[in-house]
Amino acid sequence: MLLALFIAVTAWLLSLFLPWWSVFIPGLIFGGLLGRSGGSSFLWGFVGIAALWLIQTLFFHIGNDGVLTARIADLFSLPAGWLVILITVIMGSLIGGITTLTGYLFRKVITN
Amino acid sequence: MAKKIVQLLAAAGATLLLFWALSTSLGPAPPLGPLLNPASGFWASANQPEENETITIPGEALSDSVHVYYDKHRIPHIFARNTTDLYFVQGYITARDRLWQMELQTYAAAGRLSEILGERTLAYDRYQRRIGMGYAAEQALASIMSDPQTATAVKAYAAGVNAWIDQLRSAEYPVEYKILDHAPEKWTPKKTALLLKYMTYTLAGNNGDLRMSNTRAYFGDDFIKKVLDTKTDLMEPTIPASKSWEFDPVQVEQPDSVFTPSVVEHVMPYQPDPANGSNNWAVSGSKTASGHPILANDPHLNMTLPSIWYAVQLHGPHQNVMGVTLPGAPAIIIGFNEQIAWGTTNVGADVWDWYEIQFRDSTLAEYRHDNQWKSTRKRIEEIKIKGQETFVDTVFYTHHGPVVQNFPGEPMRSGIPKYHAMRWIAYEKSNEMKYFLGINRAKNYSDYRQALQHYKNPAQNWVFADSSNIAITVAGKYPAKWNEQGRFIGDGSDPKYDWQNWIPFDQIPFIKNPGRGFVSSANQNPTDDTYPYYLDDEFAPFERGRRINDRLAAMQNITPKDMQQLQLDTYSYHAKTILPTLLNYLQADTLSETGQNAYRELTEWNLKNEGNQIAPSLFAAWWDAFYSALWGDEYGTTDLPLEWPKRDETTQLIKNDSTLQWIDDVNTPQRETLKELVNRSFHGALQNLSEEYGPYGDSWKWGYVNDTDINHVGQIPGLGRSNLFTDGAGESVNAIRGSHGPSWRMVVELGPEIKAWGIYPGGQSGNPGSEYYDNMIDDWAKGELYPLWFMKNQPAKNDSVAYSIILK
Repeated sequence: MLLALFIAVTAWLLSLFLPWWSVFIPGLIFGGLLGRSGGSSFLWGFVGIAALWLIQTLFFHIGNDGVLTARIADLFSLPAGWLVILITVIMGSLIGGITTLTGYLFRKVITN
Repeated sequence: MAKKIVQLLAAAGATLLLFWALSTSLGPAPPLGPLLNPASGFWASANQPEENETITIPGEALSDSVHVYYDKHRIPHIFARNTTDLYFVQGYITARDRLWQMELQTYAAAGRLSEILGERTLAYDRYQRRIGMGYAAEQALASIMSDPQTATAVKAYAAGVNAWIDQLRSAEYPVEYKILDHAPEKWTPKKTALLLKYMTYTLAGNNGDLRMSNTRAYFGDDFIKKVLDTKTDLMEPTIPASKSWEFDPVQVEQPDSVFTPSVVEHVMPYQPDPANGSNNWAVSGSKTASGHPILANDPHLNMTLPSIWYAVQLHGPHQNVMGVTLPGAPAIIIGFNEQIAWGTTNVGADVWDWYEIQFRDSTLAEYRHDNQWKSTRKRIEEIKIKGQETFVDTVFYTHHGPVVQNFPGEPMRSGIPKYHAMRWIAYEKSNEMKYFLGINRAKNYSDYRQALQHYKNPAQNWVFADSSNIAITVAGKYPAKWNEQGRFIGDGSDPKYDWQNWIPFDQIPFIKNPGRGFVSSANQNPTDDTYPYYLDDEFAPFERGRRINDRLAAMQNITPKDMQQLQLDTYSYHAKTILPTLLNYLQADTLSETGQNAYRELTEWNLKNEGNQIAPSLFAAWWDAFYSALWGDEYGTTDLPLEWPKRDETTQLIKNDSTLQWIDDVNTPQRETLKELVNRSFHGALQNLSEEYGPYGDSWKWGYVNDTDINHVGQIPGLGRSNLFTDGAGESVNAIRGSHGPSWRMVVELGPEIKAWGIYPGGQSGNPGSEYYDNMIDDWAKGELYPLWFMKNQPAKNDSVAYSIILK
């Protein structure tokens, strides 16, 4: 839980001054520092970025009445705007999960 | 241990794979990571701040503070204390709302789209280079920069645009940059010149020389005389026939014999759109309720999101002016100030001619002209392509202009002959900015005429009104031609085919305060046959112009509301002229049930192209089927690109002679009659409608059939508005025809207190996430015009300004 929170807050801070790929960094660091098992590392990394990106996308989505989300859905031939949110959140959570797992496994290798 | 290393490698590999997949462009789609992440992806482009704020421009670019007030339509009202600041802030504010569109238009003009879109636009870019868009813009730029007033304006505007770009973080880029994965470029005065020449391309880019030459070669002079030269009784020229031309025209030398160009084959058939056009008019105070003139204008263009227009008020020390601007150019293009109002329609004069060139050898280094071998000039065009090597093209220029196609293979565009040079008005040095700056400040008729001397291309009917005068000028720079010069492909070696001279400004058609109490134009013939110069054979059909004149002549005590109603007029003069003839020949007694329904709709039709009626769909489909049945057989006997008869010419021919020789279908042994053609095309029309719209019923209503889409200016799916249900048609004053139509409607009542109304099908914001991206479309479709808030002074505290910003 704490792992997810660290990852989410760090990802948000990094995104303020680094490009989009900065979202790969916190999982690698905190997975290495705080990861307890492969499964839980993946899960908390997954949840951490999912939560962050869900909050951020909903903030923009609600902020402009979903107008732009609907247009982007149209651009990708998707039937509804919430699918764009879903795809974005899944994309972020996969990044969070896999990077955190990688960080954890890295620590396992070097501490061994 | 080994197992852990394998696990780590697998996880690390998955991380890298994910990173690669999200940062790589798959086909035309942008990389998903940059586009979808919430911090800097499209999400971050969703909102535009609408808060009162004070913005400090770095580098002390402004010499004084400038106030910008946004009204409820988000029209900015800019108050500056000097003219340089005024245009600086116009650039800044326009870029704030429309940056991506501004860039796209200039990339399209310059033939640089492939830098953004990759190889798929290479053919388009190459064409733009080969017709000399870059060359034309350089000529225009040189003129703009040689005049201190216009140079200052475009430089200040550019600096303003760049001030906006410089403070943008990449997360704040308009969403199109993210979708197409590119970044803004510095704005330059050259881009303003490109935009102006792009308008010339859009409005004076039509040329029929090739099709006319082929038609003459294939059907003969007789066909041209009998069909394509048909005069329509109802045509009323822009300048009333009562005008007399009291001047000695410039003389030009006519060739001794008619040149016969070689037949141009292997070019795809192409028909220009004869329904392009716009309306404008002004009525004098003697006909209005207020006693002061009223001016109205609705330019018809391709309607896009964002719109081609951006509404602004510019208040400075020498002007207080409001109207619509072209994003990318300083000043107001169509609008009004405290004394005058002005508007425009296009003049389809022939200012693009083709010449057959005789080259000395295949190097194209020399060509024959005036009994000598003259050298061509080479211009190297480098076209950058996203993700690929730069494409280098060599274009050969004769003194006429560039050789557009001199390579084998597919033609660049339909209607472009090979090894022919083109001559185009856009290659002339001209400074239209000087006109716009002048008309923005004009106080009276003489200022208007003074400003017009600088207006060269694209030729426009500039209508004018002040508190007591109305006028219209068929303004532009026209070559003085001998009769029919440039109607056909010319002899590039004979100097008599060159553009030998220009029509002097004071001989260009214009009229002031005519006795009938109004001036008007709808792209029709500028003058009657007594005008001593040849301008062109091809102007818009008579219908819109005639309808406007009929209505204006009949009206008295005119109010601005009446003028708005006239802009929305859907009367079909075309149906009025030909439908009785068609119905007369229709065998109504043997019709099916659908046929009888259709017949009844048409006989009871009020001749209005209204969205909720079925009759307009029936008439349009019937006319189309009839037109193809009449001409399709003759024109179908060759693959050559030919000139087709216009709608009003065909109508006139049928009415003149019901036994016309072309009525016969050349593909059948028997001889068809007009009656057979009319009946066959009626049934064909019903067939076509049911195939496309299902069985007879509500789905046949004109609003669905005319199907108005307002697409994104860059054709990005999802960013447009589809399937609007509207009134109007190409032949009506309200000329909504698919995605083409009244791109701005404006009515201005002159007098001591100017009042103005306006609307365009779009919104002020270029941000697809903003409610002001397309907020005016529904009201526009309903025919509403908004009262425009023309501020004499800065608004008071209790005025309802949406928000305001101060720039320092």
